Amino acid sequence: MNSRKDRIRTAAVCIAAGLLVGAVIILLLGKNPLKAYFNLLQGCGLAPKGKYASGKGMITDLLSYVDSVTPIIFAALAVAVAMKTGLFNIGVSGQMLFAGFLATVTVGYSSLPAVIAKPLVILIGIAAGALLGSLVGWLKYRFNINEVVSTIMINYIVSYVVSFFIQTRYIDTVSRQSKLIRGEARLTLKNVPIAGYKCDIPLAIVLALAAVIAVHYLMHKRTLGFELKAVGYSPKAAGYAGIGVGRSIVTSMMISGALAGLAGVSYYLGYLGSIQPKVLASTGFDSIAVCLVGGSEPVGILGASFFLQIISKGSTYMSSQSGLESEIASVITAVILLSTTMSTVLMEFMRRRRESREKRRAENDSDQ
Amino acid sequence: MDNEYILEMLHITKRFPGIVANDDVTIQVKKGEIYALLGENGAGKSTLMSILYGMYEPDEGEIRVRGQKVEIGSPSQAAGLSIGMVHQHFTLVTDFTIAENIVLGNEPMTKFGFLPAVDLKKANQQIRELSQKYGLEVDPTAVVGEIGVSVQQRVEILKMLYREAEILIFDEPTAFLTPQEIDSLLNIIRNLRDSGKTIILITHKLDEVKRVADRCAVLRRGKLIDVRNVADMDTREIASLMVGSEISLELDKQPMNPGAVVLDVRDLTVANSEGIEMVKDVSFQIRAGEILAIAGVSGNGQTEIADAIAGLLPVRSGDILLGGESITGLSIRERAQKGISYIPEDRHNVGLILDYDLEDNLGLRRYYREPFTKNGNLQENVFREYADKLIDKYDIRSSSGAETIVRSMSGGNQQKAIVAREIEEGNPLIIFVQPTRGLDIGAMQRIHKSILHERDRGCAVLLISLELDEVMELADTIAVIYNGRIGKTAPADTFTKQEVGAYMMGVGGQQNAEGKERERNE
Repeated sequence: MNSRKDRIRTAAVCIAAGLLVGAVIILLLGKNPLKAYFNLLQGCGLAPKGKYASGKGMITDLLSYVDSVTPIIFAALAVAVAMKTGLFNIGVSGQMLFAGFLATVTVGYSSLPAVIAKPLVILIGIAAGALLGSLVGWLKYRFNINEVVSTIMINYIVSYVVSFFIQTRYIDTVSRQSKLIRGEARLTLKNVPIAGYKCDIPLAIVLALAAVIAVHYLMHKRTLGFELKAVGYSPKAAGYAGIGVGRSIVTSMMISGALAGLAGVSYYLGYLGSIQPKVLASTGFDSIAVCLVGGSEPVGILGASFFLQIISKGSTYMSSQSGLESEIASVITAVILLSTTMSTVLMEFMRRRRESREKRRAENDSDQ
Repeated sequence: MDNEYILEMLHITKRFPGIVANDDVTIQVKKGEIYALLGENGAGKSTLMSILYGMYEPDEGEIRVRGQKVEIGSPSQAAGLSIGMVHQHFTLVTDFTIAENIVLGNEPMTKFGFLPAVDLKKANQQIRELSQKYGLEVDPTAVVGEIGVSVQQRVEILKMLYREAEILIFDEPTAFLTPQEIDSLLNIIRNLRDSGKTIILITHKLDEVKRVADRCAVLRRGKLIDVRNVADMDTREIASLMVGSEISLELDKQPMNPGAVVLDVRDLTVANSEGIEMVKDVSFQIRAGEILAIAGVSGNGQTEIADAIAGLLPVRSGDILLGGESITGLSIRERAQKGISYIPEDRHNVGLILDYDLEDNLGLRRYYREPFTKNGNLQENVFREYADKLIDKYDIRSSSGAETIVRSMSGGNQQKAIVAREIEEGNPLIIFVQPTRGLDIGAMQRIHKSILHERDRGCAVLLISLELDEVMELADTIAVIYNGRIGKTAPADTFTKQEVGAYMMGVGGQQNAEGKERERNE
């Protein structure tokens, strides 16, 4: 009870610290931090801009913002599931790319109708991610290869193999990216008119919200989650209790990979619509930050995803409006992350303060 | 100021949320005596000493050293008042040599060219002199990671002496030592006193107090019960002061009534996780209603036997039969389901998931079965009911009942939780490894009673213990292990304690164990 309150309070303190440091830097640059932060909200459609381009409105920005958050939610959940099992999945980006690429080449350029193409994209994303994830788990279980090493290696392998195929077969000679996928396969409905504005409808957000609930349910209510967490806390004790440690590692990486796969299809076949060769999505790494700020808990991750994305998504608009470099956004995020990683110290500090308060109260009681 | 006490802690009170760890405790220690602090786990001994060592601040009361009132805010301030402490868990850098560890933070310096450098030659020389002066033989150039526990402990003692500590605190110093090592440690403590040091000995072992201490303070539930001169104290009386009620030190052990063979271990060979053969061609049988104890010095393969039977370590060769059926190829869970309960040696890393709460830990053997799991969903109310039942039945104490995170529980209650969980399975075989290590008399008694109770209900019990007294007291049959081989197996009443001790050192009953012991220490 108290520890949950502490966690929320710690997150709030970390976020405040990030915003404060950002504000100081903005002040030093001679700009108004409040205005800059308001620009962030405006850029995400959470506050009205002064003027809009024709056919665009606040709702356009808002939906585009939600579209960009969707892959982050999946990716951060992927990190969280692995982390609860004591594994560090740093290969979310590679798993995303693998899933996104497979779905692109199998369905993205096909002539399948939307009702078949879209579910198929999702299924391929899940399957591809799960496959790559379980490979990592199996390597760890069978050959004791540290998952950090194998996932980083696999990131490179996937990145180069995929870019080879894109450049030899699927390249769009103008954009230097893979050819744009067909609208039927896309998880984001482009340019849908709503109230007279052109909007992108992020279909996968529904799935992302479902995934938040599903992971929460898995980790707190399911027997499988009990086993995975046990392995995460203490592999020795879990083994003693008869839990198959190797099987749990593979299972956990499989689920983590499947979520990363969903992140991949919602990113490449939703938000972007194409794949840039030789580039790993930063989403896979940002999601580690999101997961940590969200306390590795699904509900926390949901909040952290939406919050941190305001800063990075809104930074473009902030930079165009106030002339600040958009890198300020990365600084703010970095400070938040830094203070989150130090939060154990912070929580200890809070615990002590609470103790001394209780002590004082106890003394007051005994005086009466 | 004329004062015969070198150290006084007056009316010390320390509260933690929900508990008063020290309640108006006053101790006065004379210069040059061995002062024992005796009490059960959780009686407040360690808290009191942590206050003295500057790790906690007392809520009330004052500390006087050499008659002067002092405020001790940190261990380095304590060291400045020449107070030193040997913790139960050592604080050594394993990759450093003994000398480097001892001088760390206080190094003799020299110049290397114009750069300051640690004068290791001088350090080695100083340590050698110090160790000779107090009879604490160590090789200053040996690497700490490669020396045994008892030598590491000497290093800790030398660390205090190097810093010229006058008041030496020992926190449960014998917990991890063999009987022979305990003897030599107690000698060292006596020597230190004779050379003018003041010793405070935290312990829950009565016989150690009896053997070395001059005076003894008994703590119970945070309160000072009594201070006695050890010379005229009665063991039984002190024990009852300690636990708060008259307890019988002798167990009520019924004659054995053995049934059919339950566990049959044949030519078992087991390698540890590094691939070293720790158990070689070991065979033994345990019948229903029989306690077989494997006695031996730590590290001679006994824990590997237990792990192999429970399935935690693979069997290299040989066979294990439970109720006439081979279980050698079965998984850990399958073996547990066939009827093996296991109380492992390492209760923190193996027996419990410390970050899970008590109800989850108590359900660890059953969580996947109905009614604990239905359709893959955990049934929280079933966990709670089961936990509450066990907490009540086995008197497991904790701050918030079934919801307590196990990490925050005392060692005795953690062990009670494991024993409760394992016994409750009602299995035909129970393996106890070091079941009472680090526990106080009260908790030890309860666990001993449980072991006998299980045996009397017809359970086969494998007891692995380093405590010879425990083996002698409980076992029906004793098997002595040395260097991975069982030297002798015989009914317990045909052994004397000395004979078992001799077999433990790898020599037969007739020879003197002393020579071998000296050899081992070198």
